[in-house]
Amino acid sequence: MIDALAAEWLKLRTLRSTFVVLGVVGVVVALMALLAWYAVHLWEGLPPGRRDRLEVSSLPELANWLASLCLAVLGVLAFSGEYGTGMIRTTFTVLPSRGRVLAAKASVVAVVAFCTGLAAVLATYAAGRLIIGDRPIRGQSAEELSRQMPLFLALSLSIAMFALLGLCLAAITRSAVAAVAALVAVWYVLPIVVNNVPAPWNERIGSILPGALAGQLAGTGNPQSLGGALLSPLAALAVTVAWVAVPYTVAAVLLARRDA
Amino acid sequence: MIEVRELTKRFGRTVAVDGLTFHVKPGRVTGFLGPNGAGKTTTMRVILGLDHPASGEALVNGRRYDRIRHPMREVGALLDAGAVQGGRTPLGHLSWIARANRIGRDRVVSVIEQVGLAGAARKRIGGFSLGMRQRLGIAAALLGDPAVLLLDEPVNGLDPDGVRWIRELLRGLAAEGRTVLLSSHLMSEMELTADHLVIIGRGRLIADTPMRELTAVRDVLVRSSRAGDLATALAAAGGTVTAEDGGGLSVRGLDPKEIGDLAARHAIPLHEVTPRGASLEETYMRLTAELTGGGAGR
Repeated sequence: MIDALAAEWLKLRTLRSTFVVLGVVGVVVALMALLAWYAVHLWEGLPPGRRDRLEVSSLPELANWLASLCLAVLGVLAFSGEYGTGMIRTTFTVLPSRGRVLAAKASVVAVVAFCTGLAAVLATYAAGRLIIGDRPIRGQSAEELSRQMPLFLALSLSIAMFALLGLCLAAITRSAVAAVAALVAVWYVLPIVVNNVPAPWNERIGSILPGALAGQLAGTGNPQSLGGALLSPLAALAVTVAWVAVPYTVAAVLLARRDA
Repeated sequence: MIEVRELTKRFGRTVAVDGLTFHVKPGRVTGFLGPNGAGKTTTMRVILGLDHPASGEALVNGRRYDRIRHPMREVGALLDAGAVQGGRTPLGHLSWIARANRIGRDRVVSVIEQVGLAGAARKRIGGFSLGMRQRLGIAAALLGDPAVLLLDEPVNGLDPDGVRWIRELLRGLAAEGRTVLLSSHLMSEMELTADHLVIIGRGRLIADTPMRELTAVRDVLVRSSRAGDLATALAAAGGTVTAEDGGGLSVRGLDPKEIGDLAARHAIPLHEVTPRGASLEETYMRLTAELTGGGAGR
């Protein structure tokens, strides 16, 4: 297993597309800084009495939302890049245990996604604090980092979940297009659709959507998003695990059964 | 040593490989021939554990491929030179393969040099020609210094120098006692490279035979200004003589030495004595003739 892990790690960091995806995450953080600057600009321009009408989405959470799609794409590419070129056959001749290949890819992608996600969220938080300073702009938490850390860790965990979901979808569909389409459906389309479902089902279903889990994990709820917040942190953790475990199991069974 | 036993593989209702049995022995280059769709690639994929057979088995050194702990150190394979990710360099590509099978980094550098890619080791594979990709695929196959090699159409896309390089490489590897299974569509190339042939058609075995038996001397073409006298003398000595268009004689049952000695004894001038064998291509065409007109599977 160590050999497979080391090999998948080498594969990931010798591929150009990995750095393209990480570069896009960097751009997202830069955009967040720009957004913070713009919010400050707007806030300063308002008469003091109307300043609390201005509300800006929590920048670390917004960064997380965008980064989760980037890293889900990284997860997709870890498999679809090999299916698209036929390299999957080289992989399976080099490492004949397909379960081991899946486990190694999943571990590497999960760790990279978690670390990248955490770095992006922390960088966004730091940039936000630097630019916004002590201006009380609504939506921007002025709390200390230690108080925010549970949420940031939960956000990073949800990024890892998205990345693994992408990886498994690519293993199942063997196609980048199909996997990314399914991901975007879960990431963007589904929350909008669910929001329009009659109550109380909008909130019930909304609570178990991937994008709604981080807030419930950290116990902060989802005040700014479409997601529901009916789950306890423990239940949210169980649902997070299920979003990975179910597609992972399907992928493992299909990989073992199918001809490569 | 590769053992294929009663192997059957179906894709839906198509039978790609049908009860195929053959052995590939060490110390020689075994050519794997068959029309398109005969099941060559499928057989190789089953040997490598990529496709699951419906029945039968394929063993490498007595074991199923997927039971080998570090397969690249026992079996080197080149199935499809295009099956690499263009975003990587040869160094990156070979490094992960080496790491996965605990092969030393020094081997990566030495195979890159061996296949002649030293100058391109840090360039992106995406910009490589087919010939360069073939060389990279061969480097990957040789990486673990394996005793068994499987190569599917390795000379595709290679220039004449490359074709000759592959031929000498494979013959050298077989001479070291390795098992080499080589598929190719190029009959003339196969005739020069292989010692033994396995020919299949529609997933079944057609021939499993040494190359020299397929290309054995068939007759001797003789020309002389006194063809009539020569024919009489050759017939008297036990040869079977047939006159050919253009004045030559086709002689069976006597070898060129006997023909020359006989002509000298009768003081008959000889203008040509040419032993003629069937080319591999002719024999192959004859063997697979009844199968053409529809392939099966892939």
